[in-house]
Amino acid sequence: MNAAIQASGLGKQYRRAWALRDCTLAIPEGHVAGLVGPNGAGKTTLLRLAAGMLTPTRGTITILGQRPAAGPAQLARVGFVAQDTPVYSRMTVADHLRLGDWLNPGWDGHLARRRISQLALNPKQRAGSLSGGQRAQLALTLALAKRPGMLILDEPVASLDPLARREFLQVLMEAVAGQGLSVLLSSHLVADLERVCDYLVVLVASRIRIAGEVSDLLASHHRLSGPRRDPGTLAADQEILTESHTDKQSNLLVRTDEPILDPTWAVKPVSLEDLVLAYMSRVGDGPVSPQQLKVVP
Amino acid sequence: MVEFQLDETSGVATYLQLVQQVHQALRMGMLEPGDRLPTAQQVVAQLAINPNTVHKAYRELEREGLVRARPGLGTFVTRAPTGPDPATQARFLAAMTDWLRSARAAGLGPDDIEAIYRTAFRTCFAEGAA
Amino acid sequence: MIRLSMLQLRVQAITAAVALIAFAALLAATGPHLVSLYAASGLRGCQPASCGQRASSFLQQVDSTSPYAAVYPLSIVLIALTPVITGLFWAAPLLARELETGTFALAWSQSVTRTRWLAVKLIVGGLAAMAVTEALSLLFAWWAAPLGRAAGLGGSGGLAMNPFNPLAFATHGITPLGYAAFAFTLGVTAGALIRRTVPAMAVTLAIFAALQIAMPLWIRPNLLPASHTTVAVSNETTLNLFRTDSPHTFAFTLATESLPGQPGAWIRSSGAADAAGHPVGTVVPSACTSAAISSGPGAGLANCLTSRGIRIAVTYQPASRYWPLQWTETGFYLVLSLALAGYCFRRLSRLS
Repeated sequence: MNAAIQASGLGKQYRRAWALRDCTLAIPEGHVAGLVGPNGAGKTTLLRLAAGMLTPTRGTITILGQRPAAGPAQLARVGFVAQDTPVYSRMTVADHLRLGDWLNPGWDGHLARRRISQLALNPKQRAGSLSGGQRAQLALTLALAKRPGMLILDEPVASLDPLARREFLQVLMEAVAGQGLSVLLSSHLVADLERVCDYLVVLVASRIRIAGEVSDLLASHHRLSGPRRDPGTLAADQEILTESHTDKQSNLLVRTDEPILDPTWAVKPVSLEDLVLAYMSRVGDGPVSPQQLKVVP
Repeated sequence: MVEFQLDETSGVATYLQLVQQVHQALRMGMLEPGDRLPTAQQVVAQLAINPNTVHKAYRELEREGLVRARPGLGTFVTRAPTGPDPATQARFLAAMTDWLRSARAAGLGPDDIEAIYRTAFRTCFAEGAA
Repeated sequence: MIRLSMLQLRVQAITAAVALIAFAALLAATGPHLVSLYAASGLRGCQPASCGQRASSFLQQVDSTSPYAAVYPLSIVLIALTPVITGLFWAAPLLARELETGTFALAWSQSVTRTRWLAVKLIVGGLAAMAVTEALSLLFAWWAAPLGRAAGLGGSGGLAMNPFNPLAFATHGITPLGYAAFAFTLGVTAGALIRRTVPAMAVTLAIFAALQIAMPLWIRPNLLPASHTTVAVSNETTLNLFRTDSPHTFAFTLATESLPGQPGAWIRSSGAADAAGHPVGTVVPSACTSAAISSGPGAGLANCLTSRGIRIAVTYQPASRYWPLQWTETGFYLVLSLALAGYCFRRLSRLS
């Protein structure tokens, strides 16, 4: 299977600051990959590098086996919806469909028109007067109707109300199921990621902290609670992500591929949100002390 | 055609919820052998979940021998799960409904009823653990 | 991509079409009458001796008839402003608005490369701007033909203009093409560098205006080498006499606005010189002082200066240089435009 996204040592520098550093990824095709991380972590930079909007300062990235924006054929295989879903405010919805038709040889006009009527958008309405949700749906329609193999979305639902968000994801998932798309999208809302993503990438402070299939990640991370213990006495293959201790009790979040055999620990599964928060709250590579730990329910 | 629901707070994996809902539909007689399950596209268009989750659920059902995927045509129910037939199900459903009604009439609230149920459930399945 | 460029220039194209039609209507309404005035003036087939007189009276008549006195300068202004308007409202937003509103992310993720996108937009918009400007210029040239003929026959005054006059040179011929191309590429480049529409428009205006002022003042005179000659002081030359601080010493200047045998030449400069063309001092030679005192700047002084070998050195471009100069200047602007466009393409990959 081809890699949908393959990055090796990818880095992007702006003036003196590195927005992205040492990124190495190999996301297989046919997945919906979620990119999560705090503001300013470099998510938009990574997405724009993948979409060919930026060129790398260091390292390489390929999408579906080719350099992004390498030529018209490669551009046709990748759909991109930027943050805040820009559209031409003075052009009508129908004009935007014409744009898609004229600029994309693989344009599926039938699909586009069907989606527009399903969304109850008025073709003669200027795009600038659409609501946020409608604009996002228009941008998604334009990206889907060119029949790409890969779709890249930068916080597509961040500024949408819950209903618009749900409708957007419904349309997106239906297209993934119907067209066999690979998707890379970034979001703040872990709940949404949990629904739609089967691959996760956590990006913090311009570096990738963890990446992998969601099912593998959930299977390899555990909550341990038990009597107060010195973390140094844990098995060597167990990597501690977060720890908190009272005088009587220890609570740890660990990552390990081996089963937990120590009977003094109560082992519970970790939710995706907890996992993401644990990686987001780590500073450097060591475990987090209680003062740094965000409150996790 | 069966329509799936998703309970995000239950802590049960999504694909398992789908599997369970198919089991339930089969038990209740809402799905019968020969019926077609909704396509992955239809399910995700309604639930906004990852299509691979639906595929995983259907593969599990196929592994259990309850459904069979026919390429190009869909996924079809092959047999009902082994277990009590709909008549038995209906009998116990009626008995349960009567019990609940009399409990309510006796003044028990939902939490009381649930506590009674859970205690009885634990006792019963602990002693007859199979 | 061509269709998209035209779609996105829809409003601009309609404005230009309306302006063109209105202008053409105005000229069509006044043009035929101008032709009939010319016919009535008897300038066609006139005797060389009386042509100048008839031409001048024709021109004065036109000048005093109300629409023409307004149509002429209006046309000049319109043709001079069109490159500015297209540069500001067609070209500056081309890249600036895409970068400002973020729509470049939509435009450049379709199945055309950025280079092709920009190339088509530049060519469609630039050619349209050049066509509109040149169309206005050609319409005006058709309308003003009688005036030009009258001036060529020796008429002066009123709306007569030497073709080398900066206003005339910039609005006739092919120079408007060069200006339009330059203003367009300048606007696009400003948009690429500044990334905001309104500041890009301001910078485009400033730089274009600066060059349009510098061209007739300093650049055009040096585009082609000038010719030099000397002429004798005569009735057609201008002699000015000035007193100085010391008594019995006078200063004089000599100038001319036309060259015998070189009708329609563009006189760049003229001044007192010796027979070899070297400039001489502006002090009246003592031998001619008495002529200066007695008859002022008149024939007496002129004859005295001539007898001392003083002539007028003239730097000029003959009338035949009109088209070579037009081509050279237009070529200059087109080369500038190509350089600006090339720069835009080189910067394109770094814009987002």
